[in-house]
Amino acid sequence: MTMLAPLTLDVRDELRRGGEPLPRILEAVGKLEPGQPLRLLTTFEPIPLYHVLGRKGFGHVASRHGEGEWEILFTPGQASASETPKRQPDANRTEPVAHTDWPTPKTTLDNRGLMPPEPMIRILQTLEELAPGEVLEAINERNPVFLYPELEARGAAIKVEQRDDGAFRLLIRRGG
Amino acid sequence: MLTPTATDRISRWTPAIFACALGNFALAQALVAAGVRWAGVADLAAPTLAVVHLLTIGWITLLMFGALFQFVPVVTNSPLLSQRLSLGTLSFIELGLAGMVLGFFLLGSPLAALLPAGGSLVVIGILAGILNLAVPLARKRPLPLSARFIIAGLVLLFLTVSLGLAFALALTVPAAAQALGPMLANGVADHALAGLGGWFTLTAIGVSYELLPMFMLAPHERGAWGHAVFGTAILGFAAALLGGFESIKLFGQAAIGLAILLYLIDIARLYRDRKRRQIELHNQAAIGAFISLGIGLALALAAALSHGWTRAAPSLLFVVLFGWLSGLGLSQLYKIIPFLAWLARFGRRLGRGPVPRVQDLVNERSARYVFVAYFAAIAVGAAAAWLGLAPFLRGAIAVSLVATALLAREYRRAWRGHYAQTPRPAPVPGSPFHLPQP
Repeated sequence: MTMLAPLTLDVRDELRRGGEPLPRILEAVGKLEPGQPLRLLTTFEPIPLYHVLGRKGFGHVASRHGEGEWEILFTPGQASASETPKRQPDANRTEPVAHTDWPTPKTTLDNRGLMPPEPMIRILQTLEELAPGEVLEAINERNPVFLYPELEARGAAIKVEQRDDGAFRLLIRRGG
Repeated sequence: MLTPTATDRISRWTPAIFACALGNFALAQALVAAGVRWAGVADLAAPTLAVVHLLTIGWITLLMFGALFQFVPVVTNSPLLSQRLSLGTLSFIELGLAGMVLGFFLLGSPLAALLPAGGSLVVIGILAGILNLAVPLARKRPLPLSARFIIAGLVLLFLTVSLGLAFALALTVPAAAQALGPMLANGVADHALAGLGGWFTLTAIGVSYELLPMFMLAPHERGAWGHAVFGTAILGFAAALLGGFESIKLFGQAAIGLAILLYLIDIARLYRDRKRRQIELHNQAAIGAFISLGIGLALALAAALSHGWTRAAPSLLFVVLFGWLSGLGLSQLYKIIPFLAWLARFGRRLGRGPVPRVQDLVNERSARYVFVAYFAAIAVGAAAAWLGLAPFLRGAIAVSLVATALLAREYRRAWRGHYAQTPRPAPVPGSPFHLPQP
């Protein structure tokens, strides 16, 4: 297979402005030629994106070029390399992830530092990528009260608790 | 872990309340532009009183309730007592206010009884609103700083409307005038201080402490500063309103002034410490409101030092009502309305296809000129009120009326998805809000 030149997408400015570039990234993925890689320039390691694109069959190689300078090369057809994203280390975690009868979360989204409604958008986008019954964990700075009606409308179940550091921990199980 | 219930955190009547409040604001401005005299505490002609209460009850009080009905369930993570009670607040206030305004214009005639009758309906609507908010607030422990300001604001609202109802009776019922007269000697100043300084300003401070950090990614915990603002303000209002001696009242007024100064410094810190470099238009425009509050503080200080309250009252009242409270309200509506519209319109589609961003529902470039025109009009109006140049003040309010109407058009466009790029999705059935979808 001849290697096509990667399509480069730079979302650093948008992130620094507080924007939510996921729609643009997914749009760019949709425009890729078969077999064409995507070269993404961001300000942080986009761990949730690894999972989202992993389900679409992309593998990834990340490199950090400096403070807030990341380059990630997503290559199609290497899904196995990225199926299990490494969980972000979280110093504030005080409890085991699963203390319910729900399955262990498939993905964790740390939504702290994002401007509303970005946490809600990320959660719903990631939820749509899950299989029925799979669980998503999210850490939000605020209680996402506007998220709950959307989850209910989609048949998803949710458990929420406020942690000692004030953040809200959500477990969301995709409905069938 | 708890399983939250889904729909009880959305205030269904908030968009309708905002729409009614904006209508009252426009009507009040139109009356002044058409010739009703703007005046201060020392010069209370009946039509002026009608305008002042259209502004304070019809516009700012309704705006505050509309915002709090949405805001308090979010902050306390607990639902309102009842959504229908919100509609009760709106209906009773609107109906009662109509009676009050007519009553003011008909003072001296038998129909002046409309004033206390309408005032009673307003009080019922306000008590319903307080009850509706008190239930979630009572459930929340520990109380966040913003909720403390809101509770203090609601207590002072109760005091304000109680005094107001006493005035309405004294103005229209001779027996009541005799009984209440001595009590009301200092009442106008207390009524204005508790209403403008207490209910409006404390509530606005509480809400701003939540909304500003949220959309500028600034530190939400205000630490010792926030508590200093709250403690100083409470001490000030207690002394100024309950202090039996003139010296205690003066001390209280000084403490209120200090609290506002501390708050303004804290807001400057909040803007400075924000993580989001680019400030959205609603928070740029809010700077005009904060400057107005600073000017109001300076005017009050000048009045206190020179015993010149009569001279300062018209400009002070104008800059606080139009610059600080209306300015903050109009600016924050420019974020709240698109946010609620975005939720109602696109919430169901999130994650399932292309969805515009909240920012795509507004056109900041065109609204920016409107905000500039609004605050320019406020600056001219405040100067005209200070200098006693009534025609200039009237002209400034005519400009602010046009700016308000243009902003209302922008809110409506945001609500209807006017600026959203194609594909413009059809409205989602089952919108959680009681306001007509396009």
